[in-house]
Amino acid sequence: METDLLIIGGGPAGLHAAYVAASNGIKTIVVDESFSLGGQLRQQTQRLTNLPKQFDSQIGITLMQTLVERLTDLDVTILSKHTMIGTYKDGRIGVSNGQRTIPISAEKVIVTTGAAEEAFVFPGWTLPGVMTIGAAQIVMNREHVIPGKNAIIIGSNDFALEVGKQLIENGVSLQGVIENEDQLIGCKEETIQFLKEAGVPIYQNSYVTQASGAGEVEKVIINHNGSEKEMEIDLVCIGKGLTPILEPFEILSCDFAYEKDLGGWLPQYSTLMETSTASIYVAGNAAGITNLGAILLTAEIAAISVAESLGRQCKEEATEKRELLWQELYHLESADSKAKFHGRIKLMREFQDNVDIQLSKLFNMSVGGV
Amino acid sequence: MQIVNHSIPGKKSEKEITFSFNDKFLKAREGQTVAAALMANGIKKFGISRKLQQPRGLFCANGRCCSCFLTVNGLNHVLGCITLVEEGMKVSSNDADPDVRRKANGD
Repeated sequence: METDLLIIGGGPAGLHAAYVAASNGIKTIVVDESFSLGGQLRQQTQRLTNLPKQFDSQIGITLMQTLVERLTDLDVTILSKHTMIGTYKDGRIGVSNGQRTIPISAEKVIVTTGAAEEAFVFPGWTLPGVMTIGAAQIVMNREHVIPGKNAIIIGSNDFALEVGKQLIENGVSLQGVIENEDQLIGCKEETIQFLKEAGVPIYQNSYVTQASGAGEVEKVIINHNGSEKEMEIDLVCIGKGLTPILEPFEILSCDFAYEKDLGGWLPQYSTLMETSTASIYVAGNAAGITNLGAILLTAEIAAISVAESLGRQCKEEATEKRELLWQELYHLESADSKAKFHGRIKLMREFQDNVDIQLSKLFNMSVGGV
Repeated sequence: MQIVNHSIPGKKSEKEITFSFNDKFLKAREGQTVAAALMANGIKKFGISRKLQQPRGLFCANGRCCSCFLTVNGLNHVLGCITLVEEGMKVSSNDADPDVRRKANGD
């Protein structure tokens, strides 16, 4: 197959990049390994408040429907149940459906692989019934199956607490949030208040010493402030956080950097969202773990850069659009975490030899806290 | 347990289908993954890990961790979490692995 643009990953970043690119007359292919598009939007039932101004505040599931539906009349080919597995010597990218591999020749590639969940490990962590907090949310909200009756959540970031609330709303008895630190990591007051009112015990300075059971988890022992407590639990949700998915960047020989606030290792990129490998772009959580607003904006920046380099947008127009998008991204991301945006600027400054005006302006803005 | 009258958008199809797990016939809803269909039937343990011989089930639900390997219609190592269940599908625990237990692996 031949195309102008190949997008690896059909989550929010991939879908939005496809829309912006194809709206500029760019022939686009989106590859996604799941059976349906939308990525992690497919099970988000909470209201998303930090979206770019072109989107109304809404829940993830309806946003997914919008992002997919508006591709209908555009020159976008969707390859669901296909996975990028490698590159050919001539630069073509191989995508496989498990039975055959299709070589795709693309002028430009945007990699939007998103993020994977990390895990806390403890004796018994591989027992059935122990799963990531994201997995519990998928089973419940996308598959409409109750993942367990008596649950605990290990970790207390905002996402873990939000899914805890959703578990309770679906009739699961949440018997505790286990946090290793001496305070909750998450800070959304509304969610914390909900859990308190629901009577969920919050165990700070605590960790799981063991999960056990015959064939699946039945019992969990936690260490709370130095003393052990045994609980009858059939669902353990691990909420440690996210880290970018990097395999395609490794295959494409991209250079990496480490930024703790952006989720760890990630590909280096410029203000164009182009990686160290020419014509390979990155967007979404793969470019640093962030909120949905920033995920969509990085996708738009990448798509505009692709449009510019393919001659579909003039330099002045593209530069102006990118500048506005970076400003909006700064505001949306800083509302959640200033450290994240600082991490991004640091990453780009270390990567771009000649820091352009656009970046310096952003840097001053983020430091000055405008 | 299936959630009935789920209040969120994107409601699952109510169409019921039949599949089998380790030769036992089970019901599922069209559009569900194999992993979710098993869990809806109270089955969390999908199989035994090949080296440590420990029970395994759904862990990441995103096709990355490979904890949910199943044999589907005779094909081994199928990820139950990203495979949709189908009418008449024959699912079994992934017990057809090559025998990797040997001295070189410390077994």
